[in-house]
Amino acid sequence: MSSSTTATLQVCRECGAGAPLDAHFCPQCTKILPLGRQGDYFGFLGLPRKLNIDGADLERRFRELSRRFHPDYFYNASPAERRASLERSSYLNDAYRTLKNPAARVDYLLELEGFGAKGPQEASKAVPPALLEEVFALNEELDEVREAREGGAPADAWKPRLERARAPIEAKRAEHEADLGELSARWDALVERGAADSERRAVLESLRNRILERNYINNLLATIARELDRP
Amino acid sequence: MSKVVGIDLGTTNSLVAYVKDGAPVVIRDGSGDALVPSVVSVAGDGAVVVGRAAERRLLTDAKRTAYSVKRFMGKGREDVRHEAEHFPFRVSGEAGGVVRIGLGEREYTPPEISAFVLRELKRRAEEFFAAQGEVDNEVDRAVITVPAYFNDAQRTATRDAGRIAGLEVLRIINEPTAASLAYGLDKRHTGLIAVYDLGGGTFDISILRVEDGVFQVLATNGDTHLGGDDIDVLLMDTVLGDRARTAEDVQAVRQAVIQAKWDLSDRDETTLNGRRFTRAEFEALIAPIVERTVGPVRQALADAGLEPPQIDEVVLVGGSTRIPLVRRRVEEIFGKKPHSELNPDEVVALGAAVQADILVTGNREMLLLDVTPLSLGIETIGGVVSKIILRNSTIPASGSEMFTTAVDNQTAVDIHVLQGERELVADNRSLARFKLRGIPPMPAGMARVQVQFQIDANGILSVTARELRTDVEQTIEVKPSYGLTDEEVERMLLDSFEHAEADFAARLLIEARNEAEAVIQATEKSLRHPEFPAIDTEELAPGERQKIESVMAGLRMVLNSTDRETIQKWTHALNDATQHLAEVIMNRTVRAALSGKSVDDV
Repeated sequence: MSSSTTATLQVCRECGAGAPLDAHFCPQCTKILPLGRQGDYFGFLGLPRKLNIDGADLERRFRELSRRFHPDYFYNASPAERRASLERSSYLNDAYRTLKNPAARVDYLLELEGFGAKGPQEASKAVPPALLEEVFALNEELDEVREAREGGAPADAWKPRLERARAPIEAKRAEHEADLGELSARWDALVERGAADSERRAVLESLRNRILERNYINNLLATIARELDRP
Repeated sequence: MSKVVGIDLGTTNSLVAYVKDGAPVVIRDGSGDALVPSVVSVAGDGAVVVGRAAERRLLTDAKRTAYSVKRFMGKGREDVRHEAEHFPFRVSGEAGGVVRIGLGEREYTPPEISAFVLRELKRRAEEFFAAQGEVDNEVDRAVITVPAYFNDAQRTATRDAGRIAGLEVLRIINEPTAASLAYGLDKRHTGLIAVYDLGGGTFDISILRVEDGVFQVLATNGDTHLGGDDIDVLLMDTVLGDRARTAEDVQAVRQAVIQAKWDLSDRDETTLNGRRFTRAEFEALIAPIVERTVGPVRQALADAGLEPPQIDEVVLVGGSTRIPLVRRRVEEIFGKKPHSELNPDEVVALGAAVQADILVTGNREMLLLDVTPLSLGIETIGGVVSKIILRNSTIPASGSEMFTTAVDNQTAVDIHVLQGERELVADNRSLARFKLRGIPPMPAGMARVQVQFQIDANGILSVTARELRTDVEQTIEVKPSYGLTDEEVERMLLDSFEHAEADFAARLLIEARNEAEAVIQATEKSLRHPEFPAIDTEELAPGERQKIESVMAGLRMVLNSTDRETIQKWTHALNDATQHLAEVIMNRTVRAALSGKSVDDV
């Protein structure tokens, strides 16, 4: 009994036949299947859970699936099918937008694998230990610049200081981007050879830390940009 | 078969088109004129005049004549206070409510005025089909276009106008996208396209990728208050100065400046107000208006992740793109000559007709994938907007947000939905306020209410909510901030002497839900029956219990949908699935009664 429920994870409401988890149409009566709560963006698009995605291939899959269940083509269908088409199209659009963007793709994978950040608040507030030194130096610099500005110093006196402070942080970001690229490749290799959970968890853990640091770095750079924008 | 059409409901002119033998054609009147001026006038005897005749009445009875009403669609009284003075008609409305336009003794909402224009187009199309010898010449369904940058309230107002005119609005589509469909009829077309649409009252820029017949909008931007009207007002101000004038004088000047504007598209100079007026003077005057289109163009390109040279083709849409300065500026921005093979006044209606044809025939050669122009969010603590669906998301799109309660036994939560890109509530467009009711009483912070936002292929929002701990669907009262309620639209439809059938749908849905709930309850009672485990092993077929459980789960899933047919189908399925079980229980009860024992004693 239990083995058959894992094999057919969704049931067609039209004819009651079972269908594979990532099927979009009922294999028996060919009607569009309602969107269940199972499944994920990768599976929905027929992709493995890898971080390096061929952009042209993703576009092709997106167009092909749009062609199959866009609401335009269900105008004369039953209300249930129209609803299924709307839900499937919305989910497809979400999946496409998320997987198209490399940063969003990593965030999504981490969440899917149970390594999601606890929330944007926490992610931006706690200083990642690896960045303590840079953050400390920058805050000191920002304080002095603000003091100088309030003291009436002209922009060309403090703007170069900010520019100089930005350079090491940008270097750090480049470093992180390279790290992320390398970790992504390692993750994909693990997926490829069906590696054990312990190996996967180690890479996911590193990915999450790098992402949190990268987000923090981006916030720092945004702060500097805001300061530079002041008259 | 009744007919379907595509309608371009413009600020200045409107027109209707249909697909004949696979190609879109604009419908013209006897004299070959395709354009119906979007002007509505109410004569002294109450008769409503639309189009050219109404336009002529601007010179004789300006105060009873409305034009450029598209600018007021989906707007509140406060939104238009500033520009209302430029119009001869009365503009009023309650604070915080929808705009009213006074013509003679009556007041009309903008959708009602637009409905007069739509009805005129419908009539024109029906006459045309009758003249073609069509047996069924009724036009009852249409695709109507709106500026891409229209917000939810403006789209909804347009759909309401269609309903008031007695049309089933198959789809609301964006004008630049419609234009690209008309241009892209040739399927071999592949590449990146920018559509620059400067009309009478609105400006849109859309960036599309066309491949394999899929027209995918990558980004859109614009200004729903920028167009030829602004040029006219500017010229009028220079001519009129501070002179005292009647409404009819003002309209005479307005027509003169429009004529001068047109002249200067073909000539280097013309006469305005009795003096020489050169193209150079004209261009110096309007340059700031044309310049206002540049920011949105750059933003759309940035959002699409593209640089101007990457754009393969630029398409011009809208009457104001006939102005040479506009063409030059567009050419400068993109570094290539824009297309203008098709009539910029007609191309949008042609595209709407193509989309209407796709919807009714199921023709899959082309597919249009549009985006939502503005981010959708909700108000959170401190008057800050939390975004749920980002701008330029492909539609249909959905998003959800979790809410909880702040005090013990709180049963309702207020939700304020906004559209726009700014951080603070006050800087965005208020779409609607919802009150989520029916949250089961529980300690503060325990309730988990998931609110689901769904933007459909028209770019119009709907909201559903569910308390996850109890799986109870919430009642949502939608109070559109600047729109009409369904009841108002319904009443206007009746007012407009169209036949409206009584709407039983809502009542039928409630009845279907009640029946479904009764069957679920009966099934649950059977499954809890003290003898059920024995029945299950002794009398039910293998898999019968699982079937009952899965059908019951299915019925629960559809129970709160608004789809009556599906609810009924699942109710019947559960009835069928439990029929045998019910018989078995009945037989046991009878046997037990005959042997003098209560079933519960067994």
